[in-house]
Amino acid sequence: MSLERHRNILDYTLQALLRRKFKNIGIIIVFTSMISILGSIIFLSYSFKREATLILNASPELIVQRVMAGRHDLIQISLMKDILEIPGVRKVEPRFWGYYYDSLIKANYTLIAADEAVLRDNRLLKGHLPEPQEKNVTAIGKGVADARLLDLGDMFSLQSADGRWIEFKVIGIFESESDLLTSDLIIISTRDFKSLAKLPDGMATDLLVSVRNKVEAPTIAKKIKERFPDTRPLLRDEIIRTYDAVFGWRSGLILICFIGALTAFIILAWDKAMGLSAEEKKEIGILKAIGWETSDVLEMKFWEGIIVSLTSFLTGIILAYLHVFFLGASLFAPALKGWSIIYPSFRLAPFINPYQIATLLAITVVPYIASTIIPSWKVSITDPDELMRG
Amino acid sequence: MSDEIIITENITKYYNRGKPNEVLAVNDVTIRIRRGDIAVLMGPSGSGKTTLLSLIGCMSRPTSGRVMVEGKDVSRLPERFLTTIRRKTFGFIFQLLHLVSGVSVCENVMLPLCPTDTKPSKLRKRAEELLESLGMSGRKDFPVQEISGGEQQRTAIARALINDPDIIIADEPTAHLDTHLSGKFMTIMRGLQEKGKTIIIATHDPLVYEKDYVHLIFEMRDGMVKHITQRNDSLNKKVL
Amino acid sequence: MKIKSFKYLRKSTLFFLFIVLNVAIVVVLLIKSGSILSEHDNLRKDLEEIVRTLHLTDMVLSTDARYTRHPTQSDLFSAFQDYPGSIEHFPTGSVIAPPDFTSIGTFIKVHKFQRSATTGEHR
Repeated sequence: MSLERHRNILDYTLQALLRRKFKNIGIIIVFTSMISILGSIIFLSYSFKREATLILNASPELIVQRVMAGRHDLIQISLMKDILEIPGVRKVEPRFWGYYYDSLIKANYTLIAADEAVLRDNRLLKGHLPEPQEKNVTAIGKGVADARLLDLGDMFSLQSADGRWIEFKVIGIFESESDLLTSDLIIISTRDFKSLAKLPDGMATDLLVSVRNKVEAPTIAKKIKERFPDTRPLLRDEIIRTYDAVFGWRSGLILICFIGALTAFIILAWDKAMGLSAEEKKEIGILKAIGWETSDVLEMKFWEGIIVSLTSFLTGIILAYLHVFFLGASLFAPALKGWSIIYPSFRLAPFINPYQIATLLAITVVPYIASTIIPSWKVSITDPDELMRG
Repeated sequence: MSDEIIITENITKYYNRGKPNEVLAVNDVTIRIRRGDIAVLMGPSGSGKTTLLSLIGCMSRPTSGRVMVEGKDVSRLPERFLTTIRRKTFGFIFQLLHLVSGVSVCENVMLPLCPTDTKPSKLRKRAEELLESLGMSGRKDFPVQEISGGEQQRTAIARALINDPDIIIADEPTAHLDTHLSGKFMTIMRGLQEKGKTIIIATHDPLVYEKDYVHLIFEMRDGMVKHITQRNDSLNKKVL
Repeated sequence: MKIKSFKYLRKSTLFFLFIVLNVAIVVVLLIKSGSILSEHDNLRKDLEEIVRTLHLTDMVLSTDARYTRHPTQSDLFSAFQDYPGSIEHFPTGSVIAPPDFTSIGTFIKVHKFQRSATTGEHR
């Protein structure tokens, strides 16, 4: 079968679209914007979720918090001994962490005590973490360093709970590639943390529980909850699942962008589906009168739908990719940033879910082509005389 | 009998049948047109000439009666078959020309054969030949809205001829033309008739129907053929 | 004004070229993604080490509210801040969905009410 006929009809369709240049360019711009917003959301959420899932697989197996009247409270270190007695528990250690509000720049930092932690040959840390014998030293995230204009060797003051200013020497700065994990971190020794926060003796922020067999973690968590009803055990799976939901469909950003884009699309498709204009009907009448068959007219409309929707889809997807993976989703930054002073650079790895892209194609391109062809079908089977009379 | 290219038998056409705005456009019309004739449908506005033309030209279907084109009954054919007959048999010159604005003269001429397997280069060559025969080769790349009325008319003629039809139908072709151009139009039609084409023209312009080479004149009023005049030999006799 | 049509490339040819170009860009981006991902594998090992060493549980999505900085660790209390039913006032709270609290688990036992025939007490 010769393709010439189809190319001829395509040529005519392109010319017809160019005759109504401004209207069709407007449609393509709206459609492309919609696809690029939806595509950006899909790329951002999927990439972020994949990244979080992969990285947070290294997070603690089980964390035990203490809850008082619904509020997270400090936990007694003495509980470690009791938890260790539960079969399957390999190790229990206290975790000391919290927040620090820097009133100078109105930023919130995350304060972590880690003096037995060692990061050897880690390319993402310039310098090193505080060691047990070191006093008043700190390793900080890039966000903190940039916000306070700090470099290795500089001094950094933090105010303790009793109002004293304590100076820390910066001995390590995390690289910006680790921003999504470390941007706002201040790592100090446990002794310095307790001194800064005026933490009561025998208390910790929460407890880390390592298990012998990770399959048993839920069972152990249940036993901890039964034995200590005012605790809240958190499993690693729950941590990872939280990040599945973070950019889920119930998330505000996703919902607003999705509803906005979908509304624009529905308006577009509705306008097309409401029927052809008198001018378009007349043109079909003329074509039919001079010898075009119904199938030729429908093929013309099909090409019209394909040209607009495929152009918009491909352009939109490319723009979405560039926006998320080259520009760090900067358009969403105001929504994602909120009142944050320290905000990570979104250098996401380009994880792409082809099924989501295919779904986006199916819910945009296909309905648009349908909304172009279906109203034309009725017109194209009408006698041309009736169409040309108007 | 075998020479008849168009036969209508008692055709009637209602528009908006059964609705308050129902119109009887053509009422019980029987005509016969022989191959190679120049036939004119004559009458005032609203006499049913355009409707009869559209029925003959398979652009609409009669409410009752039969239309035979080259011996085939086309009255009840589905639209897709009618389109094929239209493309192969007829060339239309509409009253308002209905050229596609924004498209060049040459491309307007090529339009009827666009959805066929003809290579564009071949189609273009044929279109250019037709335009040249009508004195339009200098304007072939101009958009149709930028040429004069007479040139648009010739573009419409060329478009009607691109598929080498047996029957050419023209609806009020001289309505917007001056005397000189009207004369030129009839000269072109005469030339086509001499090549064996059948010409059917709807008009109320005496410059058309008074030409002595017009074979048949159907005088229409109120949707009916009131009088038939034939010149030279034809199967139709004077009626009413 | 003359329209030069069909003189150079046909419109359908131009359209196909445009689509092919777009598809080529998509393919190039996919290939580039592949190479970035394989480089990222090395980076990920270092990131995992940081998580493991510092016992991190959350990504730095925002630093304005503690329940959006550490959504996995946050309690029921912090989102309400001032009083039960308080309206969200951190912008990121409306962007970042709250964690699943169903694992906290509350048991409710329902007993059928019975009035004692003799004393009239409810049991």
